[in-house]
Amino acid sequence: MTQNSDDSGEELPSISPFEAEQLAAQHSLTRVGVRPPFGRYVKQTWEKRRFLWTLASSQAVARNQNNYLGQLWAVLNPILLAFAYWLVFGLLLKTREGTTNYVAFLTSGIFTFVFISSTLTSGSKSIVRNTGLIRALRFPRCLMPLSVALAELVAAIPAFAVLVLIVVVTGESPSWSWLLLPVALINVFLINSGLAMIAARIIETSRDLGNLIPVTIRLLRYISGVFFSIEAYAGTGILGNIMYYQPVATSLSMVRQSLLGEFPPTLSLWLVGFGWAGVLFTVGYIVFWQAEAKYGRG
Amino acid sequence: MAGASAQGTPSVIVSELDIIYRVYGARSSALNNAKRSFGQRLLQRRPTTGVREVHAVKNVSFIANHGESIGIIGRNGSGKSTLLRAVAGLIPPTRGQVYISGEASLLGVNAVLMRQLSGYRNIMIGAQALGMSPKEAASKVDEIVEFAGIGDFIDLPMSAYSSGMAARLRFAISTAAVPDVLMIDEALATGDAAFKERSHERISEIRERAGTVFLVSHSASTIKSICKRALWMDQGRLIMDGPAEEVVAAYTKRYAKARPKKSARSSKKPASKKEPKSSTDQSNK
Repeated sequence: MTQNSDDSGEELPSISPFEAEQLAAQHSLTRVGVRPPFGRYVKQTWEKRRFLWTLASSQAVARNQNNYLGQLWAVLNPILLAFAYWLVFGLLLKTREGTTNYVAFLTSGIFTFVFISSTLTSGSKSIVRNTGLIRALRFPRCLMPLSVALAELVAAIPAFAVLVLIVVVTGESPSWSWLLLPVALINVFLINSGLAMIAARIIETSRDLGNLIPVTIRLLRYISGVFFSIEAYAGTGILGNIMYYQPVATSLSMVRQSLLGEFPPTLSLWLVGFGWAGVLFTVGYIVFWQAEAKYGRG
Repeated sequence: MAGASAQGTPSVIVSELDIIYRVYGARSSALNNAKRSFGQRLLQRRPTTGVREVHAVKNVSFIANHGESIGIIGRNGSGKSTLLRAVAGLIPPTRGQVYISGEASLLGVNAVLMRQLSGYRNIMIGAQALGMSPKEAASKVDEIVEFAGIGDFIDLPMSAYSSGMAARLRFAISTAAVPDVLMIDEALATGDAAFKERSHERISEIRERAGTVFLVSHSASTIKSICKRALWMDQGRLIMDGPAEEVVAAYTKRYAKARPKKSARSSKKPASKKEPKSSTDQSNK
């Protein structure tokens, strides 16, 4: 085997990095295989925003295509889930303290939490699962986790329509604060995107850590006040405040404050929510960008 | 896009390129693994003791020009596919630089797009990633479907496609935008005769529009029929760069001398030589 490389005689002339750079500049070639500067990365991402939408809508459609009822499941699933939770926490365990309309409280919590957890689950695998696409096409890799987050937002819309219906049926009267619901959902989407980008990079770097995602989600489910009021059960001490103002619980409260009359919108909560969205999205984007040249290696 | 660049000016510059893969799975025996703590195993992607390094591409330099078609020839595991992926910007170089003009489109046998999605969705995704707007992409769908010859399968998920169909669709997508640089990794081996002819036409069309075509193949005859120039890779090194006829002749001669049995296989029956394993084996999937 080894003798082949030695007997070829003369080495082929090499092109020095300096020569290459000069020549590339002369003919306006761009360098590949390196991480683009941050500013250019943002620009590239923005330029591919319609591609992002194509990716996201395709994934949203693919979610429910392998069964007969198809997109109907987008509505059926959350209803069934809400029923199951109501059975356990509303009838058996009775964690309704501190709430008057428990059914609306519970369903708004579950739907928002499922929106967050499913984005985290599929977003964390968005790079690892799509290596085929990544090795075939060149585009800013952040579009993968972002498209997953966007697809989950699209998929969550029927659930939130159901939620509004449930809220009306359980006796809430329409109010101006309902107009805040889209704002809350977009805020959740931004938080989701940030978490998905961070998780996608971590899982790509160390696949073993992917096994910790389900555990993390389970933990979040129990500490974020999905089926109980944090204020009523954890109090308003330091621990209670940490629980109340962590990103997931904040997201849940924002949705509840938009829809439920018993929780009027509070400025502090919404400011904290916007803060989380800004910080997590920015940090997630930067963290993801730092490893941009490494994705798809295997 | 390609139209702006003149024939004969550089479209790809590769300077002293080295690619070293770290292969993690091959590292340690089961006994060693059992000794490692839980924390170490969690972080096992970090280069700890015993990581095997595969030097897939060694100090390769070349310049490709607009309007050229370049074959890359070499035995299995010689670094052909790795080189191609690096030039396409899909694998970061360990050392050295790669410059490229415009968009590169890589077409590999293994390059699945999104299997769970329909052919139509894949066309939209592929075409837009190559720089088309959604409208342009939608207007190309009919043409792509016709070229690939997939007919009614367009609405079925790609997981239902035969391997030939999927390869044809990928080829049609990759070439729909007239990429500045097209890279084909053994993909032409999967089509039938009629498709081969159409794809050869498409390749010469891209060259006429000042694109550059790279073709990886074990098959000397494919390289000779499509390419003007050829690069010969051996054990990660570029050992010959010149007119396709000469390089292919030297390549076949080398193995005729060194290994009479093997060369008989590779030079006399190139058509039947459809080896699914290319040098991507090294690429640590």
